[in-house]
Amino acid sequence: MFSTRLFGSGIAAACLALCALPVAAQSFKVQCPTATPSHPSDPANPAANPLGGRIKCQQISGGDGFATMGDGTQTYLFGFGPLSGLQKMASGLPGTDVQSEFNVDNTSGVDPIFIGAPVDQSNLDVSAYSFNGAIGLVPDPQSEPTPGALTGHVDPRLIMDVGVMNANQPAPLMAIDEDDEFFLTLTNVGQVMRPDLFEQHTVHFHGYPNASAFYDGVPDASIAINIGGSFTYYYLAPDAGTYFWHCHISPPEHLQMGMVGQIYVRPRQNRVAGDLKNALIAANQGAAGYPANPVGGVTVAAPNGTGLSCSDILCTGQTPAPVSTATGAAGAMYAYNDGDGSTRYDVEYPIQIHGFDPNFHFVGMTFNPESFTDMKDKYFMLNGRSYPDTVAPGTMVTQSTDGTLHASQPLPSIINIPANGRALLRISDLDVTEYQTLASLGIPMRVVGLNARLLRDMAGNDMTYLTNSITLAGGESLDVILDATGYAAGQKFYLYTPNLDHLSNDAENFGGLMTEVNICTTVNPTTKACL
Amino acid sequence: MRAMKTNILVRQLLRGATIAAVSLLANAAQAAAPGIAGASFALDAAAAYITQPDGSSIYSWGYGCTTPPAGTFQPAAVPGANCQQMQLPGPTLIVTQNVPVTVTLTNNLPARAGNTSILFPGFNVTATGTGPVGLLTREAVPAGGTVTYTFTPTQPGTHSYYSGTQSDLQIEMGLYGAIIVLPSTVPTVCTGRTNDTARAHDFGNGAESDFRLAQAAFNHNDSCYDREYLFQFSEIDPRIHRAAEEIVNCTGTRCPTNMDTVATEPYLPAYYMINGRSMPDDMDPNYSMQYPHQPYNGNPHMHPGELTLLRIIGQGRWQHPFHEHGNHVRVLARDGNLLLAPGAVSPTTPLAGPLMFTTTTTPGQTIDGIFQWTGKGLNWDVFGHGLKDGAPVTADVCVPDANGYYTSAPTAQNYYEWCGDHNKALESKPFGSVGSGGPVTLPDPNIVANGPWYSGSPYLGGEATTRAAGSTPIPPSGTVANSPTDEAGFAYMWHSHNEREITTNNIFPGGMLMMMLVDPRAYKIDESK
Repeated sequence: MFSTRLFGSGIAAACLALCALPVAAQSFKVQCPTATPSHPSDPANPAANPLGGRIKCQQISGGDGFATMGDGTQTYLFGFGPLSGLQKMASGLPGTDVQSEFNVDNTSGVDPIFIGAPVDQSNLDVSAYSFNGAIGLVPDPQSEPTPGALTGHVDPRLIMDVGVMNANQPAPLMAIDEDDEFFLTLTNVGQVMRPDLFEQHTVHFHGYPNASAFYDGVPDASIAINIGGSFTYYYLAPDAGTYFWHCHISPPEHLQMGMVGQIYVRPRQNRVAGDLKNALIAANQGAAGYPANPVGGVTVAAPNGTGLSCSDILCTGQTPAPVSTATGAAGAMYAYNDGDGSTRYDVEYPIQIHGFDPNFHFVGMTFNPESFTDMKDKYFMLNGRSYPDTVAPGTMVTQSTDGTLHASQPLPSIINIPANGRALLRISDLDVTEYQTLASLGIPMRVVGLNARLLRDMAGNDMTYLTNSITLAGGESLDVILDATGYAAGQKFYLYTPNLDHLSNDAENFGGLMTEVNICTTVNPTTKACL
Repeated sequence: MRAMKTNILVRQLLRGATIAAVSLLANAAQAAAPGIAGASFALDAAAAYITQPDGSSIYSWGYGCTTPPAGTFQPAAVPGANCQQMQLPGPTLIVTQNVPVTVTLTNNLPARAGNTSILFPGFNVTATGTGPVGLLTREAVPAGGTVTYTFTPTQPGTHSYYSGTQSDLQIEMGLYGAIIVLPSTVPTVCTGRTNDTARAHDFGNGAESDFRLAQAAFNHNDSCYDREYLFQFSEIDPRIHRAAEEIVNCTGTRCPTNMDTVATEPYLPAYYMINGRSMPDDMDPNYSMQYPHQPYNGNPHMHPGELTLLRIIGQGRWQHPFHEHGNHVRVLARDGNLLLAPGAVSPTTPLAGPLMFTTTTTPGQTIDGIFQWTGKGLNWDVFGHGLKDGAPVTADVCVPDANGYYTSAPTAQNYYEWCGDHNKALESKPFGSVGSGGPVTLPDPNIVANGPWYSGSPYLGGEATTRAAGSTPIPPSGTVANSPTDEAGFAYMWHSHNEREITTNNIFPGGMLMMMLVDPRAYKIDESK
């Protein structure tokens, strides 16, 4: 190792050019530290951690793949696929791991790595797959002081076995909690169907407040990972809300081709034990400063004002305290730090609206010039599927051109709500050409959040509203609560688009942007099963 | 095998062109919200050709000035300010609340274009003249006919104006513009702020000038701002422009006498513009010589902590999801109407406008909003402060105010730093003199591609980047739009999120796209270019 003094003296430039880099010329690599300055103890020991939350990690591939459209067409796409949390993803859950789940030696125990994982190639079954660790993570033969430690060193063969053509539509679902540190590794496995392209990929975490240019994922403004390499994005979880993410390389092409996904952040309020409003006020006051940095930073400022509103116009880390005197139950699930329980829900459904232009996808596979002015979507999708596939439970499997079966579209859009309960729809849209409307037939929508912010004015008044439909364009998100108070188990309703031409699967005149809402006796909040 | 797909080749060429164009300018141009200030305006409607980055010249119509304007060009220090007989968008009219305004319009369009007029939505307008009363307002007849409009703006904020005659064609051809109404009273809290002191400090390149039109957007305490930018969104379907051009140029006995035969549907735009220009032209200076009829640009810059007023107008006929990377925007007003909590209206009534990271533009609608970037909540020090071998890498301190920001020293280079992240290292074992012991390891520079606006390190500012990456960082300076040793700002793309619209006639990049730069204090933001 080079002495740090050498670098401090300015010979750094020469060393960069001439010397072997301590960082080591890397190809694939994952990062998921077992401890950080903000979380020196993980799992959390509250006394040791300046922040609550955990260290969470996820690895994704950037490449290509195939998906099945509503009319049965196998269509080519660019996309991100899972390289960790595979079992969760096959179950329709977010693929985000805590660090102890992520940092698992691939060579221990049953071999979970095979081409086409998690789909058993002999019987299309995903239910037997059990591995959630980082694909490729193996002991590092050169680790110091002891060889054989898990340092993030990976076996590229394992990554390529799973990652090539494993693109998902939408891209792997991510979910974290406020106070988490999130390490997201993007591994560029190349686009096998396009040997003429040397595309980099990036991850743009859309809506992240006060984003740094370096981790914002805009290649023109920062760096983008080449084929054969990995780049780890680092995020402290932003304010709770429904965000989304996508590649930002040539967005007109990469987003149309399918490099779009969802990410949401659960509020700290889910972990509050006492009164919600007092907790929110205290959080608003504390948001003016963090606890003392253990490396020797600045101590937190005195509590900021009354904590009833925000200390800056953008309300970073804060939410105006509610005027309402309602109280919410501790230990429930909430969409936002509302302080009055108004965003409580029983079960949540991320729903991403997108559209595919079949001409563009065909051209995208066959090296022809692409037309952006003539781009016109003909497939309209919720979570990567068109009706009736939106209501087919379980993951969809598509065969890629090498004969491998991949779990291409793991998320159905079936909405099951317990009678007298509430469902949270985390709706985002990454369409590249036009606005889309989603209407609810039979059960009204209450819009509680817009662009990952609770709808409330700076005085604490409720700005949420009831509606029968929401309209979004690419780059927008909102949160809707469907309240089944007074509804009975067995009732069925529909979410569909009143853009009636979008109720189609290309030439098929019934399909598209539509899904079903079922009222159930109870709903398992994890499996979403209707019981 | 066929040749490499067109858009890759052109993309690479355009990238080179972008770099060349920007590096010709010593400092990349900045924007402000330039226009003509006054109470009496002599405008005309005329025809000219506008340019696109693909080399096209597009026959267009636009408002302009018949004579040098009676008002003054604002901001005063923007050089080269002029008002041609035709510009697209039309001249931005800067007026003051409660001061009556008179606009006289002269029709200098070709005779076959017919009558023209102006609508001023949001104002109570009286129109006088000898021209006919059209469907929506009184019009001016061809060959020099005039009409005069008078109104008194009672509310501050951003408004639009556009043609009220055969609007589907005339607005498409370019007959639209903006009106900025400045408040008659600016709240005291918006004057003499520490951000003003910081702006006035000379870091070695001279003190910055103040390019604002006012110190607040409304008579409201939460509408203070330090920078302001006007963005008008519109589209062009070249077939419509060509059809109008053919009618105008037609000679002989069988020519159409009016524009009734120009089909404005089906609508297939190929060009998407911000302030009348497509990217990268929109990032060239205001009043650039190479775009004589497209004077306004879109090239926002700000320092951390500065409140930036965005004046957003949907001209044209399509909605556009305008996405601001970097933070949310607090919507202050819609169509110049402040969105306030219920109760008595005063400068302290709490705001009720939403926070949006994508501010959709709607045809005919305006948004006034506030954007601010501070780095709060990143959990690492963007200035690369911290400890290395037990010693601090810089002498910078961060003393939090009641809101947690370092505002007590407006002359500090880390003014407005979020102190909660001060000294928090990003990198575990960095090369250079930045804080170490952080949570991540950066990738090998050999396996990443650097963008033209990449500053050379994750950190803000030339001083921090030099500490982090050495005096010859990768990429080497001089070929990039955001020099690692000089500006080294954080670049954010502000663009339409209907991604198809960030193209120019099928070429990416282009269209409705700008790069916003958060610049370190040491870099002088000069909006006079």
